[in-house]
Amino acid sequence: MVDEEVLGSHRQELRRGTIVLACLLALRTPGYGYALLKTLDTAGIPSDANTIYPLLRRLEERGLLESEWNTDDARPRKFYRTSATGAELATQLMTDMSTLTASLHTLNGGGTR
Amino acid sequence: MISLTERYLVAALRGIPERQRADVEGELRSSIADAMEDRVAAGEDRAAAETAVLEGLGNPARLAAEYAGRPLYLIGPELYLVYRFLLLRLVAIVVPIVFVVLTAVELLGGSGYIGALVDGAGGALTIGVQLAFWVTLVFAFLERADAARDARDEIVGATGRWTVDMLPDAAADRVSVGETVGEVVTVILTIGGLLFLRNLSGVTDSAGEVVPLFDRALTDVWFPALIAILAATAVLQVLVFAVGRWTVPLAAAFTLLELAFAVPVIGLALNGTLINPAFAAELGWPPLAERDGPVMLVVAVATTLVTAWEIFDAWRRTRRTPRAQAVAGLGQTLS
Repeated sequence: MVDEEVLGSHRQELRRGTIVLACLLALRTPGYGYALLKTLDTAGIPSDANTIYPLLRRLEERGLLESEWNTDDARPRKFYRTSATGAELATQLMTDMSTLTASLHTLNGGGTR
Repeated sequence: MISLTERYLVAALRGIPERQRADVEGELRSSIADAMEDRVAAGEDRAAAETAVLEGLGNPARLAAEYAGRPLYLIGPELYLVYRFLLLRLVAIVVPIVFVVLTAVELLGGSGYIGALVDGAGGALTIGVQLAFWVTLVFAFLERADAARDARDEIVGATGRWTVDMLPDAAADRVSVGETVGEVVTVILTIGGLLFLRNLSGVTDSAGEVVPLFDRALTDVWFPALIAILAATAVLQVLVFAVGRWTVPLAAAFTLLELAFAVPVIGLALNGTLINPAFAAELGWPPLAERDGPVMLVVAVATTLVTAWEIFDAWRRTRRTPRAQAVAGLGQTLS
């Protein structure tokens, strides 16, 4: 039986490595912070607000996201959208992720054979 | 009453650079409102929803640091090893030197031995604490100041790439802690013994006055010099440890110190001015202190032999090291 704490910390490590990719993929459809949190949650990638909000800003500073204030609604919200560079990065990372998953499956199969 | 959200925003925005503040404020405000709305729609009490959302965001100082990209540590892993190296070396070299110099100055100024040692130790401690503080401050600044980014990259670049040339010498060549501690303790015991025996001998004359063991030529003239030389020898041993091995300059300095100690002692012994003649007389064996007596001859010969061995040993252990290795000295200890 794997210790809950050990499992938790390793899961967190795994997610930490994929959270940028998840944001870049999700925001190809423009969205604001809280909506993105819900999108990720629904997609099975639960994450914390205090991780996502600062991350969005950093990705924007690096030119991977673009932002725009939407003042049409009663509540002004900052909308983010994956930039061209961000989309390109997401495509490459997605390929890497698939390769990685395939490699892990190979290792897994090799181990039980 | 000001709402919890407003108080949270004030606390968080305090740590965010001016130019980003308005933007972050607007985003946080709408995000908090969105999250609260969701919870209230799910049937939660408004106050409870606000508390839950804000506590979910966590400590506002931490959130602000994340936004501003500020490290939440004093000195990070990139700089830590350089920091530790510099701090330890500086303390190991500067503190003993300050101790010896201050003690010597106090002695020359006419202070008593105990007072001089206490003042020297106090000064050395102050300098050590100051060094630690300022080195830490500089590194903490390098870690977080944007203006210092180039300097930080330079330091990390110069010390970060490790090559096999930086591997330390084999463990046998390295001067160990135990060895150094042993040498230093020996010196301290010797100084203590000399000071202790200065006014004490266990022998009293017929009037009940203590008869000193040492001749006045030794205690009055040579004592301060010999004790200073012994202290300098201890500092040198610490230096050898700090460097990690005996080098030519260290061995040369050690040779000078050994000679500076041995020559006067041998001279005093051969002059018959080491042991107090009154002490020898009171003991009932005058030849003990005589210049041609057997004891002084043994003292002279033994001092010569021991000194010769010490000097030989220091040079024997001096390893010539390639210049490249000396240059890589910084990286060497980082490994």
